[in-house]
Amino acid sequence: MATRLTFAADTGGTFTDLVVNSAGGAARLYKRPTTPSDPVIGLFDSLGAAADDMNSSVTDLLERSDLFVFGTTLATNAIVTSSTARTALLVTEGHPDILLLREGGGRRTLFDYSQEYPEPYIPRALTFEIRERLSAEGEVLTALDERQALEVIARLREAEVEAVAVCLIWSMINDSHETRIGELLESELPDVPYTLSSRLNPSVREYRRTSSTAIDASLKPLMSRFFRHLEEELRSNGFNGRLLIMTSSGGVLDAEHVAETPIHSIGSGPAGAPVAGRRFAALDGGGMTAIVTDAGGTTFDVSVLRDGEIPTTRETMVGDQKAGYITGFPSVDVRSVGAGGGSIAWVDSGGMLHVGPMSAGADPGPACYKRGGDRPTVTDACLVLGYLDPDYFLGGEVEVAIEPAAGVIRRHVAEPLGLDLNEAASAILTLATERMVTAIEEITLNQGIDPRRGLLIGGGGGGGLYCTGIAHRLGCWPVLIPSASAALSATGAMLSDLRATYTATELMSARVFDRERANAVLDGLHAQCRDFCKGPGAGSIRSVITFAVEARYQEQVWEIEVPLARPEFASDDDVAALVESFHDTHDALFAVRDTGSDVEVLTWVAHVSCSLQDADSLKPPSAPGRSGAGGTRRAYFPDLGVIDTPVHQVQDLETGRRYPGPLLVESPVTTLVVDARSEVACSANESLLIYPRD
Amino acid sequence: MKDDKTRHTLDGHQLALLNNRFDGIVRAMTNTLLRTARSAILNTARDFSCCILTADHEMLAMAESLPIHVMSGPDLMAQWMVRFNPELRRGDAYLHNSPYHGNSHAADWTILVPVVDDSGRHRFTVIAKAHLADCGNAVPTTYSAAARDVYEEGALIFPCVKVQEDYRDREDVLRMAQVRIRVPELWHGDFLALLGAARIGERKLLELLQEMDGEELAAYPAEWFDYSERLMVDAIRRLPSGETATSGWHDPIPGALPDGLEVGARVKVDRDAAQIEVDLTDNPDCQPCGLNLTEATARTAAMMGVFTGLGSVVPSNAGSFRRLRVHLRENCVVGIPVHPYSCSVATTNLSELLANCVVRALAGLGDGHGMAATGKASPAATAVISGTDNRPGRGPFVNQLWLGFTAGAAGPVADGWLTILGLGAAGFLRRDSIEILEMKYPVLIHSEHIVRDSEGAGRYCGSPAAQVEYGSLDGELTAVWLSEGTNYEAIGVQGGENGCLARQYVRDFNGELSEPLGTYEQVTVKPGERVVSIGSGGAGYGAPRTRDPDRVARDVQRGWVSPERARETYRVAVDENGAVDAAQTATLRNG
Repeated sequence: MATRLTFAADTGGTFTDLVVNSAGGAARLYKRPTTPSDPVIGLFDSLGAAADDMNSSVTDLLERSDLFVFGTTLATNAIVTSSTARTALLVTEGHPDILLLREGGGRRTLFDYSQEYPEPYIPRALTFEIRERLSAEGEVLTALDERQALEVIARLREAEVEAVAVCLIWSMINDSHETRIGELLESELPDVPYTLSSRLNPSVREYRRTSSTAIDASLKPLMSRFFRHLEEELRSNGFNGRLLIMTSSGGVLDAEHVAETPIHSIGSGPAGAPVAGRRFAALDGGGMTAIVTDAGGTTFDVSVLRDGEIPTTRETMVGDQKAGYITGFPSVDVRSVGAGGGSIAWVDSGGMLHVGPMSAGADPGPACYKRGGDRPTVTDACLVLGYLDPDYFLGGEVEVAIEPAAGVIRRHVAEPLGLDLNEAASAILTLATERMVTAIEEITLNQGIDPRRGLLIGGGGGGGLYCTGIAHRLGCWPVLIPSASAALSATGAMLSDLRATYTATELMSARVFDRERANAVLDGLHAQCRDFCKGPGAGSIRSVITFAVEARYQEQVWEIEVPLARPEFASDDDVAALVESFHDTHDALFAVRDTGSDVEVLTWVAHVSCSLQDADSLKPPSAPGRSGAGGTRRAYFPDLGVIDTPVHQVQDLETGRRYPGPLLVESPVTTLVVDARSEVACSANESLLIYPRD
Repeated sequence: MKDDKTRHTLDGHQLALLNNRFDGIVRAMTNTLLRTARSAILNTARDFSCCILTADHEMLAMAESLPIHVMSGPDLMAQWMVRFNPELRRGDAYLHNSPYHGNSHAADWTILVPVVDDSGRHRFTVIAKAHLADCGNAVPTTYSAAARDVYEEGALIFPCVKVQEDYRDREDVLRMAQVRIRVPELWHGDFLALLGAARIGERKLLELLQEMDGEELAAYPAEWFDYSERLMVDAIRRLPSGETATSGWHDPIPGALPDGLEVGARVKVDRDAAQIEVDLTDNPDCQPCGLNLTEATARTAAMMGVFTGLGSVVPSNAGSFRRLRVHLRENCVVGIPVHPYSCSVATTNLSELLANCVVRALAGLGDGHGMAATGKASPAATAVISGTDNRPGRGPFVNQLWLGFTAGAAGPVADGWLTILGLGAAGFLRRDSIEILEMKYPVLIHSEHIVRDSEGAGRYCGSPAAQVEYGSLDGELTAVWLSEGTNYEAIGVQGGENGCLARQYVRDFNGELSEPLGTYEQVTVKPGERVVSIGSGGAGYGAPRTRDPDRVARDVQRGWVSPERARETYRVAVDENGAVDAAQTATLRNG
């Protein structure tokens, strides 16, 4: 019998990455351009590349597979390009402008009054008020007026809406009104998908919950269509296994489940990177606190691992970071800055250099592509500096020239700043690196992590160009470049567990703690987790359930998550331990400990994860093919000037030996720059590790 | 620009690196304050600011702080800190809220921490300033408009008092606050948040000094100021030269300001010298009420007016400020106040009125410049509410609401920013969450929505007003508001129309509205009764009949403008599908 295969794919903005793992053998990775009009085409292109490499056919490969994990930016793109469904929003009477008024904010620059106020996610014309009202304690203040609700539903039919979002004030404390509206929608508009906020995201803060609900409903028609199309294409080409989708929480779920709550597929690609980072940190780094970076063409994504955990955030924005749409959902905390190979460098009228956020994109691309790009980019700078090989750019797939790159850097940066060409190119790279450093500092700070305690993982096609500079700047050593660095997200998808989180909102003070009530809430969450293990998790090799609370000092409103050792408060000592653990966490994050204050638990959380395969047995994937020629290349380093720099091919490095910089290491998909203050070694897992020189 | 040949110079990229670094430190301070504060006015509405000054008290970095808190004031406060305490030591922290020594108003509590390096030298001052829910005033509001003087106002004043030494609290000072501030436990939590923010800033600056204390860092402030000054010069050169005077009226306040008050500004733009002067000296003397501006807010009002109306984005710091001259006089209602006149309301009413005089004056230089006036501060939906929460484990409460305040003024290229909340907040202050409010306080927010046909019509429109109705869930609720714009609306420019007036009522058990209530009121409602607030709207820029018809159609579709008003005011015909009827519109506009 032929070897069984597992597939994981990630359709990014520029490339579709595919990782193929064969049971007991090595994993390989393939990269093909993404096809935005129908991402399934790009996916099959990369499957074709795998079939060619393995002397087989796509059908043969798919027939040999039990599992296909897929990550996609389709949902994100649909929102950014306003191509989601015509969606209606039902809200509590009196509050039709929740999405318009937002939480305030949204302005990018203090005195820039040219920015237009953002449109609400659902227009006022499709927002309808429902006569009902609950109190903060869940008491019914105004009963649901069913007759009025039915009138509204009749208007939805006239308006030919394609999806309905329902978010009523305090529905997460008492879901009876929303549930009843759901029943009415099912009987009156049976073919129109809908989302109830109390079921989707039972959390406090009406703006965020409404935004989640609206986004989720608006994605339902599109995403269920897409997942059906993907599944049909795979099935008709021989695939008989299970199709899983990477979610924004860094886990995977069955495609039909994600089609029901498609908001979870937002950011599903980038969420894979920290999952892969965790595996590589364990293999090569030893430490479990790491900064995972993914340097792409237009953005630089950062996430962190704290003691092996992947922190999440509730402030996930789609589109503009200030004026975009908040998902209101916890997701893997991935920060993105507009700094990448395509970022444009410019000097303002006051004589200050900027890099990004504008990008030359894929078209026209950097000036060196000779496709009409007339502004200098970071890629142009790297080419001028000699870090990239003009004869073997992107594995030889793209033809580039140095002259146009040098010309635009001279004109737009060197001359205005009074620098020579190499100094100017170096300044562009350093400033791009600094923007990445700022992104890392912001996320580590927000998570209360000292970046110097973390291992830096350099992923993405451009990671090798920046990571040594970032490490010098932040003092986080060593730097780890895994062999799969060019496809971190797809590798992460391959490694991800089935994952779900269940929460309950129940305010409880530590001073008047009701242990019985707390235990009942935790029992309820535990039962939901066990059902998950028996349902989607059936047949998994391992399952883990953990519990936590989201708590705060009395009168604070931003909770922090504190883990619970076990889901039971057997005695008052257990309550005291929770309080102590809260003080410690708060102190670590914010340098303040207020032992005089009561501690309140608001949200009770249970996380369940089920492993479908043994992640430890997965070998780091590598790309087939060879890189350019070795020897030396003229390259510029600040303080050294232009020197003959040794160029090593990654497969030629001796395992364990340390090679002092300056030097360049090339692989088929990336280039690593090691400066004179650093040295590099290749590990037994084919990862590269960079250390500072004493 | 200062010319110092011996000075180390930074290139454009070193400048950018350090600028990122300092702004990052201010953001770390901000994050700490937001996440750890206890009152909704801080942890949700973000009515606070953080900044970094140089050792000689020049504004270095303010990131996204509120203009009214920081453009001028921190500099004056730091000067007083050194005057009162010539020997600054590491571990010191000063509490400062004195309106007579550089602060904005008594409710804005400020912590100053001198950053002292290992050799004992004072290198920077970090500042965290927060608008407290209560500051001990005689009336439960932080805006005592009717107070005849600081004694009647009743706020506890700390003229730069040391509250920490060697990083340890001076508990005697804290005890003074404990007995004079409503809801002292809440206050203490907020005080810790302020202190934590300042200490985080200090810690990060000390790290920066450890890492790179050398010529480059020493050169940074001067270089950053020169750079900002160059951008300011460019921006001023895009304006025509000219001199204009504008004025505006503040509403009457019975018992304090019976006839209202007119204040104004004379603005002179000298394009060739690249200099802007704002003269506020020709204004009435200090008044026996809480509306007097402080030195900080009078100067800031002029500055934020200029930066808002400039039309170009220039970093706001000591460098760009060199191109700006503000003339103030002592004992002036919009100048330098004399003790014991009260400045309780110095951050909103007259400061907004003045800043709007300045932006309108710039608009007077020609179409394409300046801005219309922003809607007035602060509607009854931003009242300070107080009462007793009867839910288990609760008790007395006091907090300022931040709802239903729109007010964005139209400019020459865009409609008003809907949630601007005044020029001093610049849209960076947040709104309350209804659920967070109802969870923390025994209130019910019945409704909050845009009022149709309330926009300041123009080629670009001022924001429409929002209507908010709120009341008590259980027990009595006291609300104190100071709703400027009840008598005088925000003024349009270049043919743009004025914004709508503010209105406020009480709605009784039967749903009946009371007679319109005044600008400054203290009302107590019982469960079932509601406070009804309609804010003052932003004004328009340019003639309404020159507005892009597609924008008018969009306003009709979203219910902001009625088809009748579209026709009459904008001369735009909109069909039943909400699209522009081009032929009819042409007829209307040519007629």
